[in-house]
Amino acid sequence: MEGTAAPMSAEPQTGVVDMMLNMGPQHPATHGVFRMVLSIDGERVVGVRPHIGYLHRGSEKLSEHESYGQVITLFDRLDYVSNLNNELVFARAAEELMGVEAPERAQYIRTILCELNRVASHLLFIGTYALDVGAMTPVMYTFRERERVQNLFEHVTGARMMHNYFRIGGVKEDVPGDFAERVRSVVRHLREGVEETDRLLTFNEVYLARTRGVGVISAADAVSCGLTGPCLRGSGVAYDVRKAYPYEVYDRLEFDVPVGEFGDCWDRYWVRLQECYESLRMTEQALEQMPDGLVMAPGRRIARPPKGEAYAHAENPRGDIGVFLVSDGTDKPYRVKVRPPSFCNLVGLERMMDGAYVADAVAILGSLDIVLGEVDR
Amino acid sequence: MSEQERPSGEESAAQAEQPAPRPHRGPPIETADETLSERGEATAKRLAAALGADAVAAGGRGETPWARVEPSALERTLRRCRDDDALRFDMLHCLLAVDYVERIELDYVLASVAHNRKAIIKVDLPPDAPSAPTATHLWQAAAWYEREAHDLFGVVFDGNDDLAPLLLFEGFEGRPGLKSFPLHEYEEY
Repeated sequence: MEGTAAPMSAEPQTGVVDMMLNMGPQHPATHGVFRMVLSIDGERVVGVRPHIGYLHRGSEKLSEHESYGQVITLFDRLDYVSNLNNELVFARAAEELMGVEAPERAQYIRTILCELNRVASHLLFIGTYALDVGAMTPVMYTFRERERVQNLFEHVTGARMMHNYFRIGGVKEDVPGDFAERVRSVVRHLREGVEETDRLLTFNEVYLARTRGVGVISAADAVSCGLTGPCLRGSGVAYDVRKAYPYEVYDRLEFDVPVGEFGDCWDRYWVRLQECYESLRMTEQALEQMPDGLVMAPGRRIARPPKGEAYAHAENPRGDIGVFLVSDGTDKPYRVKVRPPSFCNLVGLERMMDGAYVADAVAILGSLDIVLGEVDR
Repeated sequence: MSEQERPSGEESAAQAEQPAPRPHRGPPIETADETLSERGEATAKRLAAALGADAVAAGGRGETPWARVEPSALERTLRRCRDDDALRFDMLHCLLAVDYVERIELDYVLASVAHNRKAIIKVDLPPDAPSAPTATHLWQAAAWYEREAHDLFGVVFDGNDDLAPLLLFEGFEGRPGLKSFPLHEYEEY
């Protein structure tokens, strides 16, 4: 297999690739339209060739032909299970270029919604990942809890998904009057729900057998491959954009960055689970601190950033999402480049699959928590 | 086009339908000022010291300084950025191409996970045959970024022998990232 000349496994091998196994693009365990071709020697995977691009919609090219306000709707559709986190990073890139800062209240609203979005996204992962490794029940619990967050988002933004709520310089409108009350109720329910799933799944013997020691990636490889988010932290590297380059109001919130030990599938799962607790903690703190005031920075109605370029990044549930924005001074961006975390996390797939059993291929792929809308853009 | 050269009759009617480059209307174009934060300033100093005369231009905004180098110096610059003790950029955070029509710019967004620093290395390539040395031996992350830049912008990375289409399907003609590629007039079938 070209490009994978490095020795793959310590197990004795015949050195002959017995079979090429095609998986996808229409396969329930690839979480979208993703295809990989596995080279198999007996029961071992000796090479993997991922094929992406089935969902390539040319979002970056389209962005060059939309006004700045409209680009936010395209960002909703990149990572379609953590829409608000995506909107935030583009809004921040444009704000940085324009020298605009969102009012404090807007920053708190954004932080609260992004953290709840993170919990919803992680719950989706926990449920579907449990399905991937053979546990049918957790997905029922996690979807029930995730629905609470979606309902709250619908109440605040008007849409369950594809919110188009964040604006360059703030948010679309102030939150409804019962926002604090509803967030507190959602957080209380979510905490119970996450704990329930935690008890059900985390130290389940079958679950451990399927995920412990599977799909290991070393910290050095993870960094070199550009892994970020829970995939990187699972390997023991405590890199979190919210700590490393604090944005919005994260420098005023108290939270820990959970890290794994071995970089296997279970560690990546565990990091996400702990992040749910941390996000709920952050949400409560932010709600306490949230001041009254404007939710939109005063200024022109049409965003027209000055000529120049900016690079903004933020912590998405999947990792470090970056936006490189080039403006030529008109009302449309000259170039928008997204650094999609799932795309980079997939680069590590080859390393994780080194010498894995064919039966574990689905478990390893699932542990990356990719969203193809973002991989292919 | 001057008055004398303007074709007459039917030809001119056909010519008139061609979209002329639209003159800029609206408020005058402003240029964003570039100011580095304290941390960005510190990184910029380290970067300038490490690159020396290789950096032909430099600037930056916020926490991200940038330095422009010649294509011939790119390989050693990137290697120095990764290995120099003062920089230690262990992650290739992003690699992207920008089509400025008269040149194609590659931006290597580098990050240091251990020291929380980032910086951008820029290099200008000729638009007719853009090529740059590969960075796959420095960071594994470069492999897919380079395939993507080759896909969308036609940049050839010397030393990377796997530049198969990544986002586009095999057999796709054209470089959709380039400004010359139409957005609406393109028909796939």
